[in-house]
Amino acid sequence: MGQSGRRADVNFFNPSTASMKKEVSIARTILVFWFALSYGIPLVIWLAGLGNPYGASFLTETRFLGFPLHYWLIAQGCTIGYILLCKLYCVLWDKKTIIPRSERSGRDVY
Amino acid sequence: MSTKILIPALVMAAVTASAGPLLAAGEEIYQIERGFKLIPAIIMVALLCVYIGVGFISKVSETSGYWVAGRGIGKLGNGAAIAADWMSAASFMGVAGLLYLKGWFGLGYIIGWTGGYVLLLCLLAAQIRRFGKYTIPEFLGDRYDSHGVRLIAAAVTVLIAITYSTAQFKGIGLISGWIFGMSYTASVFFAAGVVCAYMLISGMAGVTRNQQIQYVVLISAFLVPLWILIRNAGGAGILPQLEYGAIIGDLMQGKTAAGQLTGDDLARVRQDYLPWGNGNFYQFIALVFTLMVGTAGLPHIMIRFYTVKNEDVARKSVLWGLFFIGLLYWSSPVYAALGKFWNPLGGTAVADVIILSAPERAGLGIAFIGYLASGAMAAGLSTVAGLLVAGASAVAHDWYATIFRPDCSDRQALLVGRIFTGALCLIVVIVALNPPALIAQIVAMAFAIAGNTIFPACVLGIWYSKANKYGALAGMSFGLGMTLIAMIGWIMEVPFFGPGGILPATSSALIVCPLAFLINILVSNATDDRVSNESADRSDQVIRKLHNMPGGAIEEPAPRKELHPMA
Repeated sequence: MGQSGRRADVNFFNPSTASMKKEVSIARTILVFWFALSYGIPLVIWLAGLGNPYGASFLTETRFLGFPLHYWLIAQGCTIGYILLCKLYCVLWDKKTIIPRSERSGRDVY
Repeated sequence: MSTKILIPALVMAAVTASAGPLLAAGEEIYQIERGFKLIPAIIMVALLCVYIGVGFISKVSETSGYWVAGRGIGKLGNGAAIAADWMSAASFMGVAGLLYLKGWFGLGYIIGWTGGYVLLLCLLAAQIRRFGKYTIPEFLGDRYDSHGVRLIAAAVTVLIAITYSTAQFKGIGLISGWIFGMSYTASVFFAAGVVCAYMLISGMAGVTRNQQIQYVVLISAFLVPLWILIRNAGGAGILPQLEYGAIIGDLMQGKTAAGQLTGDDLARVRQDYLPWGNGNFYQFIALVFTLMVGTAGLPHIMIRFYTVKNEDVARKSVLWGLFFIGLLYWSSPVYAALGKFWNPLGGTAVADVIILSAPERAGLGIAFIGYLASGAMAAGLSTVAGLLVAGASAVAHDWYATIFRPDCSDRQALLVGRIFTGALCLIVVIVALNPPALIAQIVAMAFAIAGNTIFPACVLGIWYSKANKYGALAGMSFGLGMTLIAMIGWIMEVPFFGPGGILPATSSALIVCPLAFLINILVSNATDDRVSNESADRSDQVIRKLHNMPGGAIEEPAPRKELHPMA
């Protein structure tokens, strides 16, 4: 004991074990979508509204289900998206745990 | 680092500042009819009796019951408990108020408070369940093998509990003022009495069962009036959560209940619903980011994952919790939009009570408003209960029973927990008498604390094995110090920390949180050889357990005795 080489090595950007690799790759997939929803949509609204001091654009003029589109995207689009992401995470995780052992070893899981 | 010296001074300053008169609270002029209201009072008293009754039936005799309510809660039940803990007066009253006041910009609170759960699920939930002990300070203290880290985490938990509860007490106070015709001050004390009695009798075993009942009461109270309101506003009354879209579209054209707006009034209402009418792109992103990392780092939400059977249930209860929370957040913009429709130009004075004011103007009927008010009260109560338990357990369990008196008995720890619950309650009452901001804004500050301290320490603790005690201490002190500076700056009305500034107290995490990560990583790497072998081995055991790696001490904590209702 005491050798640093014998201690567990955990790094989100460089996962060491097969099971951790799978875990991290699921988390990464979800985080990419999460980022796109949380910051991508406001960014699009910002870019579209650059010409107006308050951000008026085609997004604020378009109607979707009666809503101004920019309002619906944040108020319901994002929130529904988050719930689906959580569902996707659970589904991916369940899938991961029923993969046969033989496929779980090795580098192919990344 | 100078922030370390600053912290004690800042805490002192915060205490003195909050004691002074800042804003006359309870000045909200929203009532059409003042004075005592009999029907809502009956509904409210009946509800409170149910809550206390349920708490009384499930009395607590064992410490483990007081902290995490046994360990046998399923995914739906735990999801409902997460949602009930979550649905505070802030989301019930505060979000509708902010959406009313700030229009589109207020939606930042909604996505911040839902998107955070995705982070929590991906990065923390399952791992924290695998660790399987009682509290977040305990987790951080064990992972970093440091009493210093444990103490900072406990202090942060207490600070969050105080800040967050203050907002709830403001909400509870406004509601009891409306029902019983009491002054704001009197209703805050009234609320404190109810909370304390309930907490001290039942402990968390009662709280957990209650929270599922409370969720049902709460969500039905919030949803049912919408169908009537939307009809009064000229909608079809089938699905208000979609029908209010047309009202917002109309509002942008200046169509309200009182007729067509013109000139400046039209420009003002239209501006509220345009993206950057009440804040710029940076402020929006900063707010959203802060609320998200705060959500993922909130001790009283994380503590929920210790209470489930296994990590699979932990994951699925996040999904259910988020869905249950979604039901509320799809509906609160409806109140805000209807409030705007009937009262397009009301200001801060009506914002925090818009869920009562809009129905009053729409002629909803006193019984429905009473039910709605009771729901908001329940929301505040259940959140305060969860918070005070998290705060009291931080002191009794992490400080008293772990550091100060490791050999104390269960009964002593339980007693300290109860005494401290009362002490916390008192502090909150004092601060709540002079609340420094709108309900949702006060809550956002609590999120900034969590996001700048707990979140980076937890994520690095789980996902970066090199992070050590020195890194954690440096990162957490920095995060805590910066958040407190921003909060004091906001209270002192320094523009830099104000709502329109670079580092607003409600949104400081976009800048501070990544820096806290960076400091933790840099300091950990610089001090790698200063950690003793024994200490590193103890941290290693925890990491192995978090990731189900071989070699970790895989001992399931002893099964908790099922609490007998009549024990």
